[in-house]
Amino acid sequence: MAETAVEDKRITLKDAVKLVPDGAHLFWGGFGFQRPPMAFAHELVRQKKQNLTIYTCGSEMDLDILVGAKVASHLEVAFYAIEGIGLAPNVQRRIKEGTIQIEDYTNLAMALRFLGGALGVPFMPLKSMLGTDMLTKIRFRPKKAEVMTCPFTGEKVVLVPSVRPDFSIIHASRVDKEGNVQIDGIKGEDVEGARAGKKVIVLAEEIVDTEFIRAQPDQTVIPNIYVTHVVECPWGSYPMMVYNYYDYDMEHIRMYYEQCKTEEGWQKYCSDYITSVGSHTELLQKIGIERLMKLKAKKPFPY
Amino acid sequence: MNKKYANPKEFTTLELMAVCGSKQIKNGEVVFIGTGLPLIAAMLAKKTHAPKAKIVYEAGFIDSNAIDIALSIADSRLGYRASAAIGLIETLGLMLQGGHVDVGFVGAAQIDEYGNINTTYIGNFENPIVRLPGSGGGNDIVSSAKRIVIIMTHEKRKTVKKLDYLTSPGFLNGPGAREKTGLLGGGPSLVVTNLCQMDFDPETKRIRLATIHPGVSLQQIQENTGFDLIIPEKVPTTELPTREELNLLRTIDPHGIYIPRAK
Repeated sequence: MAETAVEDKRITLKDAVKLVPDGAHLFWGGFGFQRPPMAFAHELVRQKKQNLTIYTCGSEMDLDILVGAKVASHLEVAFYAIEGIGLAPNVQRRIKEGTIQIEDYTNLAMALRFLGGALGVPFMPLKSMLGTDMLTKIRFRPKKAEVMTCPFTGEKVVLVPSVRPDFSIIHASRVDKEGNVQIDGIKGEDVEGARAGKKVIVLAEEIVDTEFIRAQPDQTVIPNIYVTHVVECPWGSYPMMVYNYYDYDMEHIRMYYEQCKTEEGWQKYCSDYITSVGSHTELLQKIGIERLMKLKAKKPFPY
Repeated sequence: MNKKYANPKEFTTLELMAVCGSKQIKNGEVVFIGTGLPLIAAMLAKKTHAPKAKIVYEAGFIDSNAIDIALSIADSRLGYRASAAIGLIETLGLMLQGGHVDVGFVGAAQIDEYGNINTTYIGNFENPIVRLPGSGGGNDIVSSAKRIVIIMTHEKRKTVKKLDYLTSPGFLNGPGAREKTGLLGGGPSLVVTNLCQMDFDPETKRIRLATIHPGVSLQQIQENTGFDLIIPEKVPTTELPTREELNLLRTIDPHGIYIPRAK
């Protein structure tokens, strides 16, 4: 019997980012400090992308970098800060300058908007946001949310519009070259977000043999049917964390937070760690193996 | 058994606030918390009166038994000996909106006298002075958990007559408003600050002084409150932490990440 042809979806990080045109709408994966596609954010900055609209629940340094570099012009989000440290420094400045527009939802609302997009329905109902300014204060959407009386029960619900972004960008633990994705630890809203995108780019810490995936298919959270491209990207969430792989580099994150309080500080950070290093590999070389090895997860701890 | 209360000189205000928070968690309850002081309060509750409390973090960690202090709600530290690691649709949707969460802890940049919360903008929406982190899961939690505990610092500019932005619903504009609006959860039950604890008058749903922290005067509370606070005739002093609670707190956060040690 002929061996089944295994489709190879692997491309490089640079080529993956080249696919994203200016003005594109992106689902942005990861949640809080966990598995943000940092390397993809850096490369978007290096390739000087502009006017992107980003959809996500909660993001931190990744979103702050995209806003600081003026790669993103519109956000539809629930939360951003540098958790445990302070407010997102670049976002504060860019709001005042008017270069970023933010539409506020809740985490559940955003997660359901992705689920709605993935399901192919135009909106989703939920019981959050009722009675609040999130319903009435609208920044740029023609329509943001709508309170409706349920036709079956008479109960009040909020309808939020589904999202079908041009691209979904996620950073996963493992993927095979066909695009079967496994994620250790929490999934945040990545499972729905990945399925909502018209094209899906999966970055992963490891590319594993498809037999590894097929020996434990119950661990696959995104089957290859949804996935367009796969990028091998070890340490791709640095300086944030990946469950079972590495911890965050708190010293670096604090340095970022302090330095980016001023425009000059941000410009210096952007040059030192993003634009003057030519690639993700070069960034890792700059950080150095010694520092990275200290962050490696120490089993049985996932950090 | 007699409790061995600590002397007020032996603990800091943050330690007292953490102990107050922990007392709001009953054994066996499903608890929704974020990082910061609520995280410490929940860890303390599990080590004292509520070992069977199930702590849920919105990012997807369920029944966490973390032993190290997490800085992010999605921190891998929270995965240690958790029973499940799933995602937001699970925690905020199925678990919370589905009606399984007993008590949620949230912070607030501003609250008003009905316990409505702002975590989005300071200043005008059109031209804000400060952009705060936003709702995150805060609005979801406050909308749908059976009870809500708010932990915040007590300042005049934070306890206001009118919020700059209403992010999460307390009792909105009074009795019956939550029900009329279609909200599922029971609304706020307690506000823990660095000066006192406040609950809500069952008739008017307005905020009411419940206990005063040791060493704090009524005048001090009034001076630091921007809305009209209901003050009952008799207001007890907040129950002091026990020596055991303090010792446990110091083992939970040995490096003082959320509760810096007293000098």
